[in-house]
Amino acid sequence: MPEIKKYSESELVMLLKQHEQHAFGYLYDSYSGALFSVILSIITDRELAGDVLQEVFVKIWRQIDSYDDSKGRLFTWMLNIARNASIDMVRSKGFQNSRQNRELTENVYDSSGTTQTNTDKIGLRKIVQTLKEEYKVLIELSYFQGFTQEEISRMLNIPLGTVKTRLRNALVQLRELVKT
Amino acid sequence: MDIKAYIESGIIESYVLELASPEEAAELEQLMQQHAQVRQAVDAFSASLEQNALNSAVAPPPALKETVMAALMQQANNQPTAAAPFPLRELKSNTLPGAAVVRSAFWKYMAAASIVLLIGSAALNVYFYNGYKTAYTKYQALLSTQNTMQASMDVYKAKMDDMDESIKVMNDPATRMIKMPGVAGHENSLAQVYWNQSSKNVYLSTGNLPATPAGKQYQLWAIVNGQPVNAGMVDDCAGLCKMLTIPNAQAFAITLEKAGGNAAPSMDQMFVLGKV
Repeated sequence: MPEIKKYSESELVMLLKQHEQHAFGYLYDSYSGALFSVILSIITDRELAGDVLQEVFVKIWRQIDSYDDSKGRLFTWMLNIARNASIDMVRSKGFQNSRQNRELTENVYDSSGTTQTNTDKIGLRKIVQTLKEEYKVLIELSYFQGFTQEEISRMLNIPLGTVKTRLRNALVQLRELVKT
Repeated sequence: MDIKAYIESGIIESYVLELASPEEAAELEQLMQQHAQVRQAVDAFSASLEQNALNSAVAPPPALKETVMAALMQQANNQPTAAAPFPLRELKSNTLPGAAVVRSAFWKYMAAASIVLLIGSAALNVYFYNGYKTAYTKYQALLSTQNTMQASMDVYKAKMDDMDESIKVMNDPATRMIKMPGVAGHENSLAQVYWNQSSKNVYLSTGNLPATPAGKQYQLWAIVNGQPVNAGMVDDCAGLCKMLTIPNAQAFAITLEKAGGNAAPSMDQMFVLGKV
């Protein structure tokens, strides 16, 4: 973001905890684009993604008191809110229906599948695509689709211990890719 | 514990991406307090994630900021206490009993409306029954009046038919009228005989004869060659009374006889006499 930072993170957190309107304005200006890209890496539909972004800011407003800076950075906390909200949306019944409709339409009129690959071209998910297949599938299922390791173990028919180890290795590789 | 190996195990990334189990997260948070390297590793990965997200930022639709800020202001206004962090959920759960109240009120109104309709219907039944009774009584009255009128019309029609017949008889060129003036003692009495010369039918007009006493009846006689011949009993007829057929006569006379008539006239009871 090109904006000049007006607040240090601790100042910003303090103002957010006081529910200062201008602090939320600043938060929006600074982070809405980054959070929107996180949402778009899970939800293709921009209109729905916009709804989720609004929901994310409302959640930040409501839950800012529970943010503990000793446990991590503010953005990480917001990122996880955005990811969870997006996964919740994808799993909601309304989204399933709209996606079924869209897939039906696409199958009939558009076989290029451009909208389906959209999420793969954004942010962290784009980086995940460069991992080898057995790592990619684990991060895909756990991080972007929100399945537990037990669920993934059953889905892929891999022992839980293997899932755990392999995911850890995948994340170490991912860290190196994110750094650059 | 080998902190370096711990940091390199991938647990840092699991924790930051919220893929770690609660136990793993609790352990890491504790280690973060004790080992600066752990905290640094968490911050470093978080910072690179943040940077990555900022680099790949996608600007949301410009109008969205206003919507989001308005939603936050609404939150600020609705925020009752910090103790109620999810007012929206509470609102949602409140809508169900609210709907139930509306629904039960609806049924109350429906029940009230049904009772009003029932009472209205009963009142209309009474009203219409009274109307029906009145109309039925009037109908019966009209029916009896109509019967009476029909009866008197039949009477008039019969009289009319008789008169019609009489006029026909009188107008017939073959009919001769024989006036029978009152004899001595009955000067005021008068009667006419209409005698058709071709059919020989005899008709009597009892123009002016006194009312007959009980048990008595007028009898018409034809005088044929000086002998009285019975020409029939005089009944109460409207126009002309058709009498017996008389082929030949020189005069006609009426006497008062006992009801049913006599074979021979009582000459002292002659009222009228007319020569042909």
